[in-house]
Amino acid sequence: MNRNLNALHAMWYRQVKRFWRAKSRVAAMIIQPIFWMIFFGLGWASAFRIGGVRTLFGGLDYLTFLIPGVIMMAIFMFSYMSGISVIWDKEFGYLKEILVAPVSRRASILGRMLGDSTVAMFQGIIIFCIAYPLTPTLRIINVPIVILVAFLTSLSFTSVGTIIATKMRSQEGFQLIVNMISMPTLFLSGAFYPVDTMPTWMKYLAYINPLTYGVDAARILLTGNGSLNLITNVLLLLILSIILITLATQAFKKATIE
Amino acid sequence: MNEAITTQDLTKKFNGLVAVDHINFKVKSGEIFGLLGPNGAGKTTTINMLITLLKPTEGTAYVSGFDIRREPEKIRERIGVVFQDMTVDRNLTGYENMWLHGKLYNIPEKELKRKIKELLEFVELEKWANVELRKYSGGMIRRLEIARGLLHTPEILFLDEPTLGLDPQTRAHIWDYIRRTKKEKDMTILLTTHYMDEAEKLCDKIAIIDHGKIIAIGTPEQLKKMIGGDIIYITISKENHNIKSFMEAIKNDVSEKIKILNTNTLAITVENAPEKIPLIFDTAQSNGVKILEIKYSRPTLDDVFLQLTGRKLREEEGSFTDFVRRIMLMRRRRMR
Repeated sequence: MNRNLNALHAMWYRQVKRFWRAKSRVAAMIIQPIFWMIFFGLGWASAFRIGGVRTLFGGLDYLTFLIPGVIMMAIFMFSYMSGISVIWDKEFGYLKEILVAPVSRRASILGRMLGDSTVAMFQGIIIFCIAYPLTPTLRIINVPIVILVAFLTSLSFTSVGTIIATKMRSQEGFQLIVNMISMPTLFLSGAFYPVDTMPTWMKYLAYINPLTYGVDAARILLTGNGSLNLITNVLLLLILSIILITLATQAFKKATIE
Repeated sequence: MNEAITTQDLTKKFNGLVAVDHINFKVKSGEIFGLLGPNGAGKTTTINMLITLLKPTEGTAYVSGFDIRREPEKIRERIGVVFQDMTVDRNLTGYENMWLHGKLYNIPEKELKRKIKELLEFVELEKWANVELRKYSGGMIRRLEIARGLLHTPEILFLDEPTLGLDPQTRAHIWDYIRRTKKEKDMTILLTTHYMDEAEKLCDKIAIIDHGKIIAIGTPEQLKKMIGGDIIYITISKENHNIKSFMEAIKNDVSEKIKILNTNTLAITVENAPEKIPLIFDTAQSNGVKILEIKYSRPTLDDVFLQLTGRKLREEEGSFTDFVRRIMLMRRRRMR
């Protein structure tokens, strides 16, 4: 037990440390969501200022509606992409060092995913700090709970990234799949427009997407408005993330050297 | 426990192709055992099975007394591995790489700190401890990997081609560490190599492996004795028509052991080469054979391999795929 906790700690530490070393990457990761907030958010916000449209967004100003979505988007993107480190490790050999160590593979991959989620959280907090002056009506008091929700969302998507990475041989292949899936995942999450007004078939897709619950919970906590209630969101998110984490550890357990 | 490793008909097939073919050998505790063979002979596959990363198709092996099929976890606790290709995280420092390894092997924090310091000194990298590995050279990374493999004081250390792609000075350095490891830490070491000088200088016992099979096993001395003396290589002029009678005469007067290597090169095995060379000249002259070049060597493991397989150990090095692989490996080493 102690052995596996140590491994978990080591792998967590590795992800955090690696990220910390590449500070230029932090800037690159944060700039994109900020562009979304400013160009997409402010642009639409002024377009939607004409009478009556606000009711669409639960009476919120569009920018206020969008910001929780953009924060979750940033967390989602980073978490999802983090699976690529599994491929790097395959390519640069570190995977062997882990596989030959006397620790459970579950512990080592879980540690890695927790590390990536920690980093994703850190980015989310920075984006929140930048966004806050744009819409000071956000309920800052709920931030600690938002962090918990975001952490679960992040773990779900580091799991998805890991599952894809264990099946892929090359970075190019991974990137291809990730790019293909990330766009629909974002648009089906309610980050940019409400799930309520989607066509029915689209709603079904949205409701199997863990990001939907993450976005909705964050929106409820930060703005007071959402389509489901908080408890439902958190419960469903919890269930989905547990399923995905289990699948990811299972996929990694089967990983072998070629 | 006397035997550190015992294999029993250890076999691995990949999609029906036999990579390792019913291998049997024993490694005694405290010795340096070498698997010598050309690239693609099955050395790395054998190691991967012994360190429990690959499951054998047939047969099994006992490492530190545990069955590789049944108790891989027990084995993993007791072995250290330095892989052929790099397995470090180059975004982290030397110290951090060591620390991570220590955590994976459950070494208590205090002891870990002390040991990292001690081992970094052992491989003379203490000044580089807090430098990211991307600034290390290939040789330095290799040294760090050796230090890392020793960190949890394994009973058996596996080294897969420890000096591949390194320059001569660095190789000599690494050999020195390997010898000192055996001496100071009394560790069993299994290494693979396709450099015969490496096998000869380091190993107490060598198994020569080719096409997945062990074709000879013994101490370097025993193996060389298989040749039965010095070897004289003669290159003769191509216009010679009397080769047959010349060879007959050599067989009668000099040595029975004569072999044609290619159209105009002969290898003659004799007890004492310097004494026999004048005799060969005389025989050549009386048979009208013109000698272009003559040289002799004390038998090396290369000769043993040649004798057993009809090929040179190094021959395979010249293949194109190997060349590409080597370049990629060197590039990778430099990239990090």
